[in-house]
Amino acid sequence: MSQFDRTLEYMDQLQHADTAAAVCETLLGVTSHFGLTALMAGTVPQPGTPRGQQKDHVLLCDWPVEWLERYVSRNYVDHDPVVSHMKDLQAPFQWREASRAIRVDRDSGEVMGDASEFKLRDGLAFPLVTLEGQIVMVSLGGEAVQLSGAEFGLVSLVSTYAIGRAMQLHTQAVNTIDHIELTPRERECLKWAAVGKSEWEISQILGISEHTSEKHLLNAKSKLGAVNRVQAVAEAIRRGYIS
Amino acid sequence: MLFALTTQELMERPDLWEAVHRLRYKIFVEEMGWTDLKRPDGFEIDQFDHDEAVHQLVIRGGELAGYQRMLPTTRPHLLTEVLVDLYEGTPPSGPRVWELTRYAVAPGYRDGKRGVSTVGTELIAGFVEWGLKRDVNQVIIEFEPMWVLRALQLHFLATPLGYQRTYGSQQVVATLLTFNEHTLDVVRSRRNHHAPVLARGTPDMLGMRQAS
Repeated sequence: MSQFDRTLEYMDQLQHADTAAAVCETLLGVTSHFGLTALMAGTVPQPGTPRGQQKDHVLLCDWPVEWLERYVSRNYVDHDPVVSHMKDLQAPFQWREASRAIRVDRDSGEVMGDASEFKLRDGLAFPLVTLEGQIVMVSLGGEAVQLSGAEFGLVSLVSTYAIGRAMQLHTQAVNTIDHIELTPRERECLKWAAVGKSEWEISQILGISEHTSEKHLLNAKSKLGAVNRVQAVAEAIRRGYIS
Repeated sequence: MLFALTTQELMERPDLWEAVHRLRYKIFVEEMGWTDLKRPDGFEIDQFDHDEAVHQLVIRGGELAGYQRMLPTTRPHLLTEVLVDLYEGTPPSGPRVWELTRYAVAPGYRDGKRGVSTVGTELIAGFVEWGLKRDVNQVIIEFEPMWVLRALQLHFLATPLGYQRTYGSQQVVATLLTFNEHTLDVVRSRRNHHAPVLARGTPDMLGMRQAS
């Protein structure tokens, strides 16, 4: 089998991967031949994104756990030379170029030093831009990274397919979960609206003001993406929030 | 609206013909620096503007806002003649496979963002609609690798035809995109616009804003 046929096989495996973990495993199966054993890919948080939200930006991750913890808890994303280099550039690059390209200040020196401690001595990173204009960064690292120009191209191409697959899976997951949470009060108001009670009646039943019951219903309506109260009730029943 | 015209139809409309070749020059020679295509008259024209090429034009407010050219793979095309180091083995060909070239969004229609503008996605919706109508389900595109990600976001099935190469400052990879009705649905939902974009006939004279 030619080298290119093998590449196509990787792509095929990626397209059939059903979980982010399977995508990671396939990708690292390819890149580990070149000493790239750790992987992190995700959308780049705006500077100053609260730590609690930084992990939500991760799409693929097979990275030393403690390193990730430290990275997030020390807010390294704002000082990482790889991240800043990547934002300026549209092409793949090697980590060592990034630390050379920018003046390494105390904070970014610390990031790179800490990375080596976790056996991430060098790696490569590249930015991609989604349809919506969001930057997705892929970073692969390891202890002894060795790859030619052609292999560099191969790795970045396979990574692009991997991140594409991860985004497909991510969108599917978001669509299934739907992320709707109704408060107990909103649910209660909807339940009474479903049996034909007016806002005033609901307020009397629940012992709240009419204005408050109206507000609960409006909130529920917007969470359910409904245009009016009838649709909100129908949608809440369909999703099983009320019966 | 997107209009699909044969080379013959395009030549019958000097206003459109000029706008097309000027936009191509502006983008591919002046912006991207493809100096091989330089010409004193400021029109970008190549050997593939033949009688079987299909020119797809997005017209907005009486102006040419976007353009792409479809070439049949049943005769020599860009990949087989010019970009020969972009494929391994034998590239796919046949009546159901076309090559998409010269994808271009006019500078005023880029929405000032890094993402794909509405004219950009109209071009995508346009070639998918056009393809599904005439039983074409695959296109070959030579583009920057980030477009692979975007194609996957739109649920195209993407297959690389070779390794990516660096031309000047640009990375290029030849890719085969396969699509079906589902792809069209995804493209339309992403655009929040479900009406067909492919128009019948030919556009009004450029510079004439339609009343309404």
